[in-house]
Amino acid sequence: MEHEVKRLEEDLQKDIEKASDASDIEALRIKYLGRKSPLAELFSQIPSLSTEEKKIWGKNLNILKQKITTLIDEKLSGFEGKEEEIDLTFPSRPVERGSRHVISVVLQKICDIFAHLGFVVIEGPEIEDEWHNFTALNFPSDHPSRDAFDTFYLDLKEGKKGKQLLRCHTSPSQIRVMQKNKPPFAVISPGRVYRPDEVDATHSFMFHQVEGFAVGQDSNFAHLKGVLFYFARQFFSPDVSLRFRPHFFPFTEPSAEVDISCIICGQGKNKKKTTRCSVCKGKGWLEVLGCGMIHPNVLEACGIDSKKYQGFAFGMGIERMAMLKYGVSDIRLFCENDVKFLEQFNL
Amino acid sequence: MRFSLNFVKELLPLDVSAQELASRLTMAGMEVEFLARAGKDWVFDVEVTTNRYDWLSVVGITREIAACLHKKANIKYPKVVKRPILKERKVIIEDLKDCPLYIGRQIEDLKVKNSPAWLRERVFHCGIATINNVVDITNYCMLKWGNPLHAFDADKLEGNIYIRRAKKGEIFIGIDERERKLCRENLVIADDKKVIALAGVMGAKNSEVSENTKNVFLEAAIFSPLTVRRSRRAAGIDTESSYRFERKVHPDYLEYASVESSRLMQELGGGRFTGYAEAGKKPIIKSKKLTVDLKRFADYLGEEISSTQIKKILTNLDFEILKSQKDKISVLPSRFRFDFEDEVDVYEEIVRIYGYDRIAPCIPFLVPRDESSFSVSEPGFLYRFKNELRTFMASLGLREIITYSIEADQELANLGQKDFILLLNPLRAQENAMRTSLLLGMIKSIRNNLNRNQKDLRFFEIANIYSHQKESFIEKPVLAIGLSGQANTLFCLKGLVEEIFKYLNIEGMDLRPEPQAHLSNALGIYINSEKAGLLGKLDEKTKKDFDLKQDLLFAQLQVGVLKEKRKEIAYRSYSLYPAVSRDISIALRRDKKFAKIRAAVERKAGEFLVDMRIVDEYRGKDISSDYHAFTLRVFYQSKDRTLTSSEVDALHTGIREDLHTQEGIILR
Repeated sequence: MEHEVKRLEEDLQKDIEKASDASDIEALRIKYLGRKSPLAELFSQIPSLSTEEKKIWGKNLNILKQKITTLIDEKLSGFEGKEEEIDLTFPSRPVERGSRHVISVVLQKICDIFAHLGFVVIEGPEIEDEWHNFTALNFPSDHPSRDAFDTFYLDLKEGKKGKQLLRCHTSPSQIRVMQKNKPPFAVISPGRVYRPDEVDATHSFMFHQVEGFAVGQDSNFAHLKGVLFYFARQFFSPDVSLRFRPHFFPFTEPSAEVDISCIICGQGKNKKKTTRCSVCKGKGWLEVLGCGMIHPNVLEACGIDSKKYQGFAFGMGIERMAMLKYGVSDIRLFCENDVKFLEQFNL
Repeated sequence: MRFSLNFVKELLPLDVSAQELASRLTMAGMEVEFLARAGKDWVFDVEVTTNRYDWLSVVGITREIAACLHKKANIKYPKVVKRPILKERKVIIEDLKDCPLYIGRQIEDLKVKNSPAWLRERVFHCGIATINNVVDITNYCMLKWGNPLHAFDADKLEGNIYIRRAKKGEIFIGIDERERKLCRENLVIADDKKVIALAGVMGAKNSEVSENTKNVFLEAAIFSPLTVRRSRRAAGIDTESSYRFERKVHPDYLEYASVESSRLMQELGGGRFTGYAEAGKKPIIKSKKLTVDLKRFADYLGEEISSTQIKKILTNLDFEILKSQKDKISVLPSRFRFDFEDEVDVYEEIVRIYGYDRIAPCIPFLVPRDESSFSVSEPGFLYRFKNELRTFMASLGLREIITYSIEADQELANLGQKDFILLLNPLRAQENAMRTSLLLGMIKSIRNNLNRNQKDLRFFEIANIYSHQKESFIEKPVLAIGLSGQANTLFCLKGLVEEIFKYLNIEGMDLRPEPQAHLSNALGIYINSEKAGLLGKLDEKTKKDFDLKQDLLFAQLQVGVLKEKRKEIAYRSYSLYPAVSRDISIALRRDKKFAKIRAAVERKAGEFLVDMRIVDEYRGKDISSDYHAFTLRVFYQSKDRTLTSSEVDALHTGIREDLHTQEGIILR
């Protein structure tokens, strides 16, 4: 019997070493502890032994059973958490998902950045009148400054505020808010705008803009710069540089155009011109928006006392921002809605 | 405006590199768009903003360059001689509003030949072709002073000079040899017999200076910017000359340009000045006195610039400092500038030379304001709701698209759209009307993708639609859904619409069969009795017209109505007891509606009904094609206990018995 116990122990040791997963162990449990196991066989021999031997072997076999159970459990616990190994080099199952349009996402990103600073989003209508689109914005009538803002006119009845048209910029939203509300306020106004431009890689007759403006007793040029620096660093990257170039817009004075250091070659920022970058054409800078201090005439046209209040305003094209941020080279792609394009912006 | 560095150097000594100068000018607002070496010269091309007529002259540019380099330009102005008076012809202006001043100088016995090298270089480097000494001189003086000039061959003029509106249908052949029919919008220069120039735009072929010209009549004038603008638009030409007149010209420069041209024609062509003619009156340009309030200026900028610096900048820009006090500086802007109306105009002048980049950025604390504290017309606040819907639609597996608001009126009409707003000045015929539904854009987007072998498309768009309404118009946002492909059925579309209503917690949704143009199986979507949208399948004819390879399912919902009907979510307690299901196999005759079965189930299962679904559809020989066979699974549940098997059986049997009695329903 002693011999049999020893062999059993040796067999178990080997089998346990060979066991490679939980199911092997379960098989061992049956083999060594089951009703037909060698252990059960040994136990069955006990009744035929002498009283003295019964005592000894009963104790020994129970110790052995304990030992086997412990060994099996220990081995099993080593396998716990280990699962079937799956060959994950097989291709995945395709996942169908929806997506928002890159323009609507970029638009929201921009509005969100300004919203963090305290700007409120208010949209204005796309069908506008001459007064809101031009006159109140300090455009002299029939002046070359209106050339850059060519506009579609509509077959709607002309009202007190002039001919009806499709707004050619989001600035009339500024007028609508300023007319009806008392400063201080900071508003951002996104939306579609329309211009009779021939369609090419960078022009379309319909595109999106965001207009932002803040009016208060102390809104100043330094604030305008602060807000736009914050925006550009949030939107493009924390290390982007900005430069403000004087420009002319009828509705702001002083006015500026804002360039960011080229996000591709970074030349503007580093001041060394080494590469001929195709994005900034070697200039190192990319024009991104127009801005300025709101012209007192504009405030007055909206019934705001320009002696008491001052404000700043800025406007940018969303397609341009999206093109710069994601390297889209042709504005027409945005309205083609090819799934191959749409699915790239799972934003 | 294109100018050359050597031209500037005639007027101002410079010791700065072209690149450095370009960068300074750009940062002062004269953006250098192009800079290139041209022999020993440098060519600059700068953007001229519409407020700066004076940057259309080298004199004006020189003054700007000087200010940027913290210097003052010392421009020498020629002496203006107006004697002797020209006797041969008079100048007669029809309307002083069109032409306040016209002067002429006659130079006789000159020889037309090639210009000397320096003159050719000046003109050529400024982007103008050289012709002969007479033409080059007029161009040189235009470039220098900003005033366009025109030289007529005096021997080809007959009688007096008239500045008048063209007669309707009058013919004009320009020096570009193109023939144009004129109208009353056009202002012309004419003699007793013929039109000799389109005023401020282009001279006529009939009086052009040629190699044989001996005597020249040199025109300099002020034409109304508006008149020139309308005239050149009517004639469809845009010239260096009209570009300048539209932006105004200065009466002083006009005289200098005329005098200097006359002098150069004598020097370079060997002619003599024989007479001066004038009509109209030289406008008096008076600068408006402006006062800079230093405190207000500092508040405006958020930065203080010292009074000394301000005065230096303004002096360099040709301002006259009238009075300088502790808190105020009164100034008279340069007599050569037209762009000073308000105090803020002076602010910009100071700060742009000071340098925008030197103003330290500062993030303001903006007083937080709630949307509701604003008074704005209703759609103004739909933005956030629309974005929420967009994100939700994307979460349902749909892709957002953006399509054009402007389409061809014919295409809209073909789709049964009415009352659309037309563009009065469309760029192209295919974009001349505002859409009244998002259907057309959806069809086109789906078609483009199908043609590129995409399958199973699920799109949505949120955009405005527009239409005439009585005397006025409507502009309102809608949500459109378009599905195509085998995986997408009308039930998917209906499910999506229901899901939106569920998400927005809108109750009382009602789908009513309602014919829609170009949709089959169309339903009107109502909330209680208010119309909120529609859905349906694009009909076969339209599908064919658009050459669509697959069916298109379309729904459109009114965003404003959805927002208005949306309800805050309120938690509802739910049953923790198990739901039990039982199936019924039914064959429904095709002239009967499932709604009848639904009603029977609702009637019989009452409060214990939680859901019903179609789990199987059957097509087989044993089912007549007049019938639609399917298995309906009904789910029963109680709020407060576990339903026993016999209770459920009783409910289910009740349903079966009810259905059994109905015509057109066979229980299988």
